[in-house]
Amino acid sequence: MTRKQLFVPTVLLGLAIVLWFASDYMEIAVGVAFFLFGMHCLEEGFKVFTGGTLERVLRRSTDRLWKCLLFGTASTTVMQSSTLVSLITISFVSAEMIALAAGIGIIMGANIGTTTGAWLIAGLGLRVNIAAYAMPMLVFGVVMLMQSAKGVKGVGYLLMGAGFLFFGIHYMKEGFDTFQGAMDLSAYSMSGLAGVLMFTLIGMLMTVIMQSSHASLLIIITALAAGQVSYENALAMAIGANLGSAITTALGGLAANIGGRRLAAAHVIFNVISAAVAITFIGQLSWLVGWLASLIGIRPDDYLLQLALFHTIFNVLGVVILVPVVGVLASALERWIKPAPQSSEQPLYLYADALETPETAVTAVRKEVQHLFDNASGLIAHGISLKRSTIDSDASLQEAIAATRRHFPLDIEAAYEEKIKSLHSEIVGFIASARSQKNLEAVSDELYALRQASRDVAEAVKGMKHLHTNLVQYGLSENTAVRAKYDAIRLRLGKLLRQLRQLMQGETGELRALEVDAARVDLHKTSRKMLDELDELIRSHKLRPAIATSIMNDENYLMQIASNLLDAAQVVLAGGAVDLKDGLSLDRIELKELASQQEATERPK
Amino acid sequence: MKLKKLLEKVEKFLSADPDTQASERKKVRELLRALKDKAKALRRQLEEIEDGEERESLRTRLDVVRAQRMKGVERIKTLRKKKAL
Repeated sequence: MTRKQLFVPTVLLGLAIVLWFASDYMEIAVGVAFFLFGMHCLEEGFKVFTGGTLERVLRRSTDRLWKCLLFGTASTTVMQSSTLVSLITISFVSAEMIALAAGIGIIMGANIGTTTGAWLIAGLGLRVNIAAYAMPMLVFGVVMLMQSAKGVKGVGYLLMGAGFLFFGIHYMKEGFDTFQGAMDLSAYSMSGLAGVLMFTLIGMLMTVIMQSSHASLLIIITALAAGQVSYENALAMAIGANLGSAITTALGGLAANIGGRRLAAAHVIFNVISAAVAITFIGQLSWLVGWLASLIGIRPDDYLLQLALFHTIFNVLGVVILVPVVGVLASALERWIKPAPQSSEQPLYLYADALETPETAVTAVRKEVQHLFDNASGLIAHGISLKRSTIDSDASLQEAIAATRRHFPLDIEAAYEEKIKSLHSEIVGFIASARSQKNLEAVSDELYALRQASRDVAEAVKGMKHLHTNLVQYGLSENTAVRAKYDAIRLRLGKLLRQLRQLMQGETGELRALEVDAARVDLHKTSRKMLDELDELIRSHKLRPAIATSIMNDENYLMQIASNLLDAAQVVLAGGAVDLKDGLSLDRIELKELASQQEATERPK
Repeated sequence: MKLKKLLEKVEKFLSADPDTQASERKKVRELLRALKDKAKALRRQLEEIEDGEERESLRTRLDVVRAQRMKGVERIKTLRKKKAL
């Protein structure tokens, strides 16, 4: 058994022993359990509604930093879960749907949004009989949860979530009241810097264990209300809770791709700086809280609301300090955290969190297919002895091909295994997991199309293997007619790669996907032209039929490679508009007809 | 296979709610408008370019856009007929 497998049974056993021997903790533990379950229900409920709306709002809210901050604050306030907001933001940054700087802005906003939880608990939870509201919520929630309609079920989850949150607060309050009679934790309160550091550490550990800064704040506030911790120590614990939430995100970020790791690092940096400032100036902040509290009418002895105010102030202070350097921080993180070099090609965008929402799943797969396409086009360019930089430049391909004296040394079989097959397998595996998830049913057609695109790219490289063998054998032939034909094959493939790479660099959309049709018509025309010319060369005895057949076979390989690449490119460029692309894109018969019409008009009369 | 796919699409469209049908018509119309603009731009480019190979490539692109637009117009007509049914 590994250490990881032993962890949960050990924790459960420890918990059982504690609850058995110290039953005073029971109500507090139930309160925390209800609270955490409530948060889980809320997350589930919001996930039902994230099939488009949240993503759309997120995309529109990330062009300015203030919008990112506002979005992070508002969404966390509404959802009462910075974890869900952070998770979705990590997915979006990882799929490159939003920039790293925008992601940092949202995380900062989420830190401010999460402070509303403290106000909710301190201002409402402990003053009103909150359990009375929880009961009808749970009743309605369960009834709605049993319905088949997705939206109603989502509302059911939200009601259940809020109900359990309220129950959690209620039980924690009751628990600490009972606990107060049995034990006095305030005897352990510490003052001075040692006290601040010790209670910061306690707050941090609590959050790391419970994976929720909200739950920690609930414990801190209820413990403060019951007089189990001093106000000063509670302030330090609130700082610790913030640090703990950064560690939770950092652990989540480790499983994400490079974008997610950078964002998680930004979260840690942000929270560590906020905490350092708060610890250093805790005396001054405490005074500021007192002054502001008197301004907004909070009583001097109302430490619960003062704690909530402190929590808000130090998070806002962290944002104020770091907002001017968000851009610098983002570029520094891009420099510091780089992808580790791998022997075989690793996926750049596929990771478990991308399966959270339909949009991130599709975008991650599309980006990965694009990554595969990029690898394949580089490999095919080398296969026809052209540098990728030549393809991407404005240099004349004709001149580059005519100047070729030696073929590039290339083990295309090994390159296929390393750069294509491994990535294609990852894409297929990811799509298989995505298709088994209920929340991704709506995008299964798109995922199917992308899986086919990935297969088309792999097939194109397989075709290149055959073409490459003959290119090496005959491509630089002394016979000028043979060389000219192989140069023409290389030129057509080179031009196609250039055209597709240019198309791939722009925005995706139906219109761009339709541009691929022109390349198909060109391909048909040039193929027919080449076959006609070969016939002519055989007739005029300039080419032996055996060699001509080899060229015809290679022409066929070229058509297969090109067709596979064009099919894949069209799916990637469509950007989700699978139906429309099918609707207006020309089919094989229409393409051939158009190519024939053009040939007829071009033929000299 | 092609016919089967087409029938599936028609069935899917007919069983779709009026909002989905209206949004599909709107999308095709938008695409047609964009294709019209693209055709105009290509025609302008064609007038300016002398080079034979480049002209041929532009002409192919223009012909393809024209064929796609014709297909789009047909599609709108079919969608309108379905709406009238």
